[in-house]
Amino acid sequence: MKAAAVFKSWEFMLAVVLVLELLVLGMINPAFLNIENLLFSTSDFAHVIIAAIGLTLIIMTGGIDISGVSIMGLASIVLGLAFIAGVPIGFAVIIALGVGIAAGAFNGAVVANTDVNPLIVTLATLFLYAGIATGLPTLLDMLGFQAYGAGGFEAYQYEGITGLPKAFTWIGSGRIGWVPMPLVVALLLAAVATWVMLFTRFGRYLKLIGVSPAVAHFTGVPIKRTLVTVYAMNGFAVAIAGLVLTAYLGSARSDLGSEALLSIITAVVLGGSSIYGGQGSVIGTLLAGFVLGFMRQGLLALGISSDVVPVIIGLLLVGSVALRIGLAKLSTARANRAAFAAEQMAVEGNGGRS
Amino acid sequence: MKKILKSREFLVLALLVAMILAVSTVNAAVLRPLTLINIVNSSLFLVLIAIGQMFVVMTRGIDVSVGAIAGLSAVIFGMALNAGIPLPLAMVCALLTGLVCGSVNAAGIVFVGIPPIIMTLGTLGAYRGLMRVLTGGSWIESIPQSIKTLAVTRYMSVPLMVWAVAALIIVLAILLSRIKAVRNFYAVGDNREGAYLLGINVRATEFTAYALAGLFSGAAAIVFTGQIGFVPMQTGSGQELKAIAAVVLGGVSLMGGTGTIWSAVIGALFLTTVDSMMIFLKVPGSWNNAVAGAVLLAIVVFDYLIRRAVRNRQLAMRAAEMHHAEQDHDTRLQPREAVR
Repeated sequence: MKAAAVFKSWEFMLAVVLVLELLVLGMINPAFLNIENLLFSTSDFAHVIIAAIGLTLIIMTGGIDISGVSIMGLASIVLGLAFIAGVPIGFAVIIALGVGIAAGAFNGAVVANTDVNPLIVTLATLFLYAGIATGLPTLLDMLGFQAYGAGGFEAYQYEGITGLPKAFTWIGSGRIGWVPMPLVVALLLAAVATWVMLFTRFGRYLKLIGVSPAVAHFTGVPIKRTLVTVYAMNGFAVAIAGLVLTAYLGSARSDLGSEALLSIITAVVLGGSSIYGGQGSVIGTLLAGFVLGFMRQGLLALGISSDVVPVIIGLLLVGSVALRIGLAKLSTARANRAAFAAEQMAVEGNGGRS
Repeated sequence: MKKILKSREFLVLALLVAMILAVSTVNAAVLRPLTLINIVNSSLFLVLIAIGQMFVVMTRGIDVSVGAIAGLSAVIFGMALNAGIPLPLAMVCALLTGLVCGSVNAAGIVFVGIPPIIMTLGTLGAYRGLMRVLTGGSWIESIPQSIKTLAVTRYMSVPLMVWAVAALIIVLAILLSRIKAVRNFYAVGDNREGAYLLGINVRATEFTAYALAGLFSGAAAIVFTGQIGFVPMQTGSGQELKAIAAVVLGGVSLMGGTGTIWSAVIGALFLTTVDSMMIFLKVPGSWNNAVAGAVLLAIVVFDYLIRRAVRNRQLAMRAAEMHHAEQDHDTRLQPREAVR
């Protein structure tokens, strides 16, 4: 990419916005600009970024998966129940991630093999997975599994499962150097997803399907396999998000992350992805995730009630899309004017000769 | 008549009856008239917002903010009542709130060109936040008795609100089948460019759809406040997804251009009944969402399979016809060759 193109890109604008945001919040409240504080506060929204990275890949294909927030809770409660049932924590993590991948792959299989709108498919599984997550404890009781404690598994239906081992909660509260683990996980995933998008054939397939499914089909792109894989990848990512949040809060709950849907989609769309597919980048999503997360932190630090935060996030979502539409219209208008001027020049030139 | 029997609405209605009958073999209490009336009564909120949603989905849009609009309207309604505004005027306030919220959605979608899911997702956050800002996060309680008595008044053991909503549905059904402009919703949803070229005012049609979604959410807020007697902050939360599920279940395609008011009504009734049946089967309430999700998924996939089978049969018939035509062609050619 040429230097001029970099400066004009949406990602660059987001980076500028992020820096400006930090500076403004820092000017109002100098304590905010403490690097250690800033890094530490990312733990509060790292799960949103992780889930948004997975969703970016799906939205690239023109699809959507809103069931991710339910998969987060499902992965969390599966981990907790497995732990209580006496499964070693490492194995419990693998089970939870496996459930996430399976749930995602199921979404993908339905989307790929029917013409039902992905929004409806994942709306149905949003209810389905959330219901399974809340119902799982009672199901285990009915199946006769034994839990430590008098209440059986049902006791964990609404209250969190605590007492998870240190080795696991380290993923949420530990840090490498100055960088907290949730942020490390988010950055690692972002790096992997960027590599997939830019340097693999699979990444090209995702974009091509988003631009035009028909062309992708005739080009010989294995559409079904690609779709199932990308939805499974998203299931994996949101399961990780669920586990990171579980480790951070130190408690496994079935309704974990259920309020994150608006933030996740806002991060993806603010990051420059088009919900019609074929456009967007993981870096954009990552930057937008930071912009949103720090804005939330900053507003709360300024003493603004948390009630106002969703209003501002909602306005940001709508405003950013309106801005992009406006910019697109402007550039079209400019291109049209230029073309018109060139045409007129040509006509006048002709007129002079004849 | 045959058309009605073949319709998706009828299929879901038959499933609904079959489900109630099946559950009645386990627990006969389901078939008591009072039980059925109560199920209908508790479905009113969802029925109303689903009707609003139907207009939007018919035009190939989507509105995920209807639950939040209902919540905000309920807050305004409760505050108006507590401020001593007479009931009819407070109702107008609630309806107006819904209409304004819906019109804001419409303005962003129709005039700015923001994708519907993005616009309404944004206003979902905004309206929900506004609810908390207006009330400071506390519930609105001590609402005057007038609205609550309205909810418990029964004629022939059927609540007044059920009569009112039923009357509204029948009037709407008649109006929708008589007014010519209603066809515009179908035309715009089926083929936006085609509708524009036909001279239909596409923007006005889409605007009306979102405004109506808001208006019906306002009406749902009145019913909700009357039935519950206070306004909790969770009012309408998650209901937007249920409303979409209801209309899709009832046969409104998200690709636009299809659906009737009965789709919304039957879909909403079905989802509410599923919840009630779980109680009669003594299944823990925590499984409600799983069942609702599974039913929705099963129905849309089943619908796809039927559509695919029908299309394949049509294609096979056409192929067979072509094949016949080719054979006729061949046999007609042969004698001529022979002559030559």
